[in-house]
Amino acid sequence: VIKLESVHIEEVRGIRKLDLDFRKEKFAISGPNGCGKSGVIDAIEFGLTGQMGRLTGRGTKGLSISEHGPHVDKVKFPDAAFVELRIYLTELGRSATITRKVSSPKKPKIVPADADVAAALAEIAEHPEITLSCRDILRFILVEPTKRSEEIQSLLKLEEIGQTRGALNTAQNRLQSAHATTTAQVLSRRNALLLHLQISTLRSEDLLGVVNKRRKLLELAQLPELTTDTELDAGLSTTAKASDFNKESALRDAKALADAEAEFLTLAKSEITAIVADLTRLEGDPSLLAALQRRPFIERGLSLVEGPACPLCDSPWQNADQLRDHLKAKLSKSEEARKLQESLLKNGTAISEKIIRVAGLLAPVLKLAQGQGETEFAQLLTGWKTDLETLRTKLAAVDKIAALKKRLAGSWLEIPTAFSPGLKAFTEKLNAKPDQSATLDAQTFLMTAQIRLSDYRQGMRDNKAADIARISAKAAYDTYCVVQEDELNALYEEVQKDFSTFYRAINEDDESKFTAKFTPLQGSLGLDVNFYERGLFPPAAYHSEGHQDGMGVCLYLALMKRLFGKRFTLSLLDDVVMSVDAGHRYQFCKLLKTQFPDTQFIITTHDRLWAEQMKSAGLVTAKTSIAFHSWTIDTGPLVESDQEIWEEIAGALEKGKVEAAAGALRHHLEYVSRLLADQIGASPQYRADNNYELGEMLPSVLKRIKEIWGKAADAAQSWGKDGEKASAVERKALLTTCNGAVNVEQWAVNKAVHYNAWANFGKKDFEPVVTAFKELLGCFRCDSCDSWIYVTPRASPESLRCACSGINFNLKTKSK
Amino acid sequence: MPTLHQQIADKFLAKLAASKEIDTGKIEQLRALLADGKKIKADEFVKIFSQLDGGDIK
Repeated sequence: VIKLESVHIEEVRGIRKLDLDFRKEKFAISGPNGCGKSGVIDAIEFGLTGQMGRLTGRGTKGLSISEHGPHVDKVKFPDAAFVELRIYLTELGRSATITRKVSSPKKPKIVPADADVAAALAEIAEHPEITLSCRDILRFILVEPTKRSEEIQSLLKLEEIGQTRGALNTAQNRLQSAHATTTAQVLSRRNALLLHLQISTLRSEDLLGVVNKRRKLLELAQLPELTTDTELDAGLSTTAKASDFNKESALRDAKALADAEAEFLTLAKSEITAIVADLTRLEGDPSLLAALQRRPFIERGLSLVEGPACPLCDSPWQNADQLRDHLKAKLSKSEEARKLQESLLKNGTAISEKIIRVAGLLAPVLKLAQGQGETEFAQLLTGWKTDLETLRTKLAAVDKIAALKKRLAGSWLEIPTAFSPGLKAFTEKLNAKPDQSATLDAQTFLMTAQIRLSDYRQGMRDNKAADIARISAKAAYDTYCVVQEDELNALYEEVQKDFSTFYRAINEDDESKFTAKFTPLQGSLGLDVNFYERGLFPPAAYHSEGHQDGMGVCLYLALMKRLFGKRFTLSLLDDVVMSVDAGHRYQFCKLLKTQFPDTQFIITTHDRLWAEQMKSAGLVTAKTSIAFHSWTIDTGPLVESDQEIWEEIAGALEKGKVEAAAGALRHHLEYVSRLLADQIGASPQYRADNNYELGEMLPSVLKRIKEIWGKAADAAQSWGKDGEKASAVERKALLTTCNGAVNVEQWAVNKAVHYNAWANFGKKDFEPVVTAFKELLGCFRCDSCDSWIYVTPRASPESLRCACSGINFNLKTKSK
Repeated sequence: MPTLHQQIADKFLAKLAASKEIDTGKIEQLRALLADGKKIKADEFVKIFSQLDGGDIK
């Protein structure tokens, strides 16, 4: 989407003021630890997104951009801390500038302030993964499958998919449960209708028989058939509909409830016994629940057992069979837990259906009590009915069922003590009412019948709708699962293929047949890698830590390629390349160049040699790389570029700051000596700790370059190339002159290289030292491209070159 | 470039439409919900699936 053209950073993190010209190219920033490299990455990330991963990620409690984003000396002046980024929008082919202050990270100033630029920035802000730090790498590789799945899902923003799937599943379960409820309600309303009509089936002729008998008595037209809109009380006058109280029906309702009361004590007895037994087991063995959660993990482990080491944690076992038995025992335990959960929900649903039946019996009596002004009894029934509804809700969730054990083990219906006498008294009051005339009985009979028929019809409609909803939800959930699985499998296959390709490209010398395999399971993502064609193993099983780090980088690149495709135009790799071991750095550079030609990598490394290797490999150039040699709280990172280092030293001397100038020169000499020793194959006395002093490194470099120029002159002579010979001789002579100049100041140099005492020099003493070294180092550079010279091939040099080949001397003498 | 979530959502809706198991009106509401970009709650799905086929006419 975007590339970086340049950045101006002021008072952000450890940086006071810094300008970098990225030129939309891959760019390297090198320097020792603590010199401000990561501060640059923080600043770029902040400029683009308003965030700084290092201050907002895990383990950063107590840190914030507002408090810790500005330079420590500007904490009270956060307005002074800002980043100005010049970006290039690759698709639009134009540039924009973003200025973002630490004091208002969410309100960047964007020029031009148009929608396209804002959209590009919004997309970048959505993807903090464009910044990868060293500590981020291993989270892809050395984690258990469930965690890896989470990390990768997080990177690919798959959590949205999981969330949608989860919501669909929950919806499906709720609608399934709602359907079960409406089914039970239909049954309850059907029973109420049958009870009132005093018939045993709802066949049309039975129903119309009892209804038409009352209609005839009332001289109302006979109903010829029962249709969906038939009204049983059709034709009754409004006056006649004033009350629907039917004494006989009311007594039947009261009796039905009283009769059922006798069964209440044994209601759902078998289900209650089973659910209490299940809860007792769960209570006595809490590991059952934990086992249920671990089940998928163990299943995967069991399928991976190939030897006496646990594929999940690498713990050693006596043999594979013993390990398998152990896992099978665990699996058997979790299978037990799964069955237990199923059993709890199944019995909970059965008990719920009984509750609906009880509530169905309570409802008409409650309505009667309310209609007859029996307030106290009506309140009692209302309270009990509400309690039963709450209980029914709880029986739909395992965690809530667990809390019901005490109630379920006792008189779980919790019939109010006043219920039985209340019902008895109410029935007596109903009985005491004068018998209704045949006409009134017929009127109220028809009215109640119509009310209950309507309830039943509504119940059936609700049940039908609930069934359609349930079927729709199930179809949607099942479809989503299938589509998701297909897509993710395709995704993982793509990533797995790219990951393997990238890793092979880096390790072509010794792992050219490397392959990797992702194993997506529900909620987890296993990763196995081929180890020298001996089989597939978890990355940590046999590969070295360096190789595992390399895998992390490759997996990151594979994921980013999949995530962004051609829009992967920018990546900030903060000290990540150190994960690639020394022997494979050129291949890594080649990988970035060939596989990601259009991606601008901003790469930091604390290894300066690595930075030079990036240049040698052509990944970056002198113009697209920068080195910091040190950092101070007052200055921020001190840039080490050939032009600027001498300007910086001269500037320090001008201000009389010999100590600063001396420090900068010494750093530079140390850096260049090590670099040149590597580039031209100098041989200082070997040190196992790799801690070479300037005093031993620099002389060996000078000795080596003299040998090389001698070889170049000899080779040119052997081939009869007089011009080349003269040039080699001339360069050797210049080197000798410059070396002589340094030697003239040897008393001063010695103090530096042996005692580090330049800091005590005066300005006049130190200036000639600086001049001498500047000229000496100039002998190792190309005037045209400004790069350092190097020999190639390194093991047995055949030529001496620079990056542009402006310097190109043959070192092989013609055979005689 | 559509996100993976969007890709899955598009294929999901296409497959549902082809299967004819769900009313087209509900599919359109699902499309709108999935395109909204917000975190979807189960209640929102319940509401859509619970609607009577044929719209508001009862």
